[in-house]
Amino acid sequence: MNIINIALMEFKRTIRDHRTLIFMLAFPIVLMLILGTALSNAFDNTIKIDKIHVLYTEQNDSHISSAFHTFIKEAKRENMYFSNASASIDGKRAVKQDEYDAYVEITDQGIQFYGSERESIKASIVEGMLTAFTDRYNLISNIAKEKPNKVQTVMASAGGSYVKETSLQADRAPGSMDYYAMAMTTMIAMYSAISASFLIRSERIRNTAVRLAVAPIRKMEIFLGKILGSIAINFVCILIVMAFSRFAFGANWGSNPGMVILILFTEVFLAVSFGLGISYMIKSDQGTRTIIMIILQLASFFGGAYFKIDNAQGFLKLIIDLSPINWAREALTKMIYNNDVTAALQTAALNVGIALVFLIAAITAFRKREGL
Amino acid sequence: MNVLEIKNLTKKFGDFIAVDHMSLTIQEGEIFGLLGSNGAGKSTTINMISGLLKSNGGEIYILGKNIATHSKFAKMNIGIVPQDLAIYEDMTAYENVRFFAGLYGLRGTELRARVEEALEFVGLSDKQKSYPKNFSGGMKRRLNIACAIAHRPKLIIMDEPTVGIDPQSRNYILNSVRKLNEMGCTIIYTSHYMEEVEELCTRIAIVDHGKVIAEGTKEQLKAIITDTKEIWVEVKTGEPMDEKSLKKIKGVNTVTVEENIIKIISQAEINNLNQIIQFFMNHGLEIRSLQEQAPNLETVFLTLTGRNLRD
Repeated sequence: MNIINIALMEFKRTIRDHRTLIFMLAFPIVLMLILGTALSNAFDNTIKIDKIHVLYTEQNDSHISSAFHTFIKEAKRENMYFSNASASIDGKRAVKQDEYDAYVEITDQGIQFYGSERESIKASIVEGMLTAFTDRYNLISNIAKEKPNKVQTVMASAGGSYVKETSLQADRAPGSMDYYAMAMTTMIAMYSAISASFLIRSERIRNTAVRLAVAPIRKMEIFLGKILGSIAINFVCILIVMAFSRFAFGANWGSNPGMVILILFTEVFLAVSFGLGISYMIKSDQGTRTIIMIILQLASFFGGAYFKIDNAQGFLKLIIDLSPINWAREALTKMIYNNDVTAALQTAALNVGIALVFLIAAITAFRKREGL
Repeated sequence: MNVLEIKNLTKKFGDFIAVDHMSLTIQEGEIFGLLGSNGAGKSTTINMISGLLKSNGGEIYILGKNIATHSKFAKMNIGIVPQDLAIYEDMTAYENVRFFAGLYGLRGTELRARVEEALEFVGLSDKQKSYPKNFSGGMKRRLNIACAIAHRPKLIIMDEPTVGIDPQSRNYILNSVRKLNEMGCTIIYTSHYMEEVEELCTRIAIVDHGKVIAEGTKEQLKAIITDTKEIWVEVKTGEPMDEKSLKKIKGVNTVTVEENIIKIISQAEINNLNQIIQFFMNHGLEIRSLQEQAPNLETVFLTLTGRNLRD
């Protein structure tokens, strides 16, 4: 009962501390809005292809010519424009100079293709369509030789298009607002460490530690009550930020809120234990605050709270992997977008494990100390 | 009945002995004054009685039970009014008292009744929904007391409860101490204001260098110093004073200067008044008044410790 009373008191007092509350709620929401809006382009995965210009030459009366002209007409529908090269134009050079996206030579031996290195996507599209065209041409030629009466049937079934749209289901990825909802929520969860570092220290500064210590309750009840209160209020703040991002900004938090909440709860537990542990390792108030702020800023920066860091290698990757904000956000991404429960459970276990190390260190120092 | 009994209590901080084999007994119904200058060992003793510090030796008994083995019983029967305010500024007066009283196992209607009783006792009933950050210094001190008495302790330890407050609040607190005593509480009272201790306390102990050097009623303590007299010389404001030369006069024990009053404690049987006056005249110090004081607690303290209480 004493633990609950102390926890409730801690909860109530933090709610009345408007400065802390604004920091825990308004700061992540405003940053989410600013970064999510300003950096939305960084999260756009679509590629827009403009008109494709192809230069071609053809040997006079090549047997493929008539079919190729039909192909050119069809290709126009796909935004691909063929231009017949005059004798004076060097096709390959024109492509190199970026005047065309590809160059095609049609001879009796077949079709020669040269694609632009700079416009590789456009060149690949042309190459793909030409491959489809030659495959179909060869097929119909062979059928015409063997069974001429079947040509019409095959041509009708092939249709006029040389492009088949196929949707490849890649891993789904968060948009900018989804990303910053996760990034800011995980970041502000770690910021719980700041208030936690003053949990017991503030009682000493305020002299209320004397009253708590002379009361007929165990020291551990005070300790656990304070931690419980701190975790509760910080977690409520996280839930509010999460709900706000979901309903105001439409951020995607997936279809398994239980696992998402588990990751965030264990992160708050980690942050509170970390703050408390550091406060017992460093003696001065200023020293504690400085160390915690430096670690939090580095964890936020390298954890991708302010901007996404892709394809990191070597030492940078190691630092990124050490950020609790990064591993919590990664776990959330996997959980929300791939329903990866294992990743979520692993991260929750990691958070709890590290939290227990800091908590045990704090409890050991707390028990050794006379008073609070 | 002994409410508090201390036997050979010792506390060391490294090589420094803060409390040195101190023994003390306080009876039920007493208002016991604990006098000592800064660093004398009062606060360390109080902290050990209240369970904040562990001793390096000796025993403490509260209502006959050793606090080492009956810590919870001892804590249930002690109320602490710390020198520094120990209240939450962001909780109302009612919430403050309720929270601390709740730690003593009080619940429900009993808790509410005790909280209201404590607030009424210190005259803050009408301010129970107000936040201490809006209180005057005196009101905060009264709330500090309310937080210590709601669980009805048998022994209340008040450490400088009147520091930095207006005379009206000070009188209120002194009357509260008397009322608590009348209600059956035993009180340990420390103060730098000698007149408060003289006015309130039924028995007094003078602590110096971690030891009780004198103990008894006011009269008993004053009787210790019948062989000394105290002479107060008022001089013109701001004139420099050579204390060492004054101490060389035969019979003079201690000299203290408080603004323009020089307090001289001298051996009673030696008639040295002429030499003292001559000293002031020789040093060009203009005497405004001169009087021999009847012995008081301050004289006793100064004689026994060689220091002022405020040193």
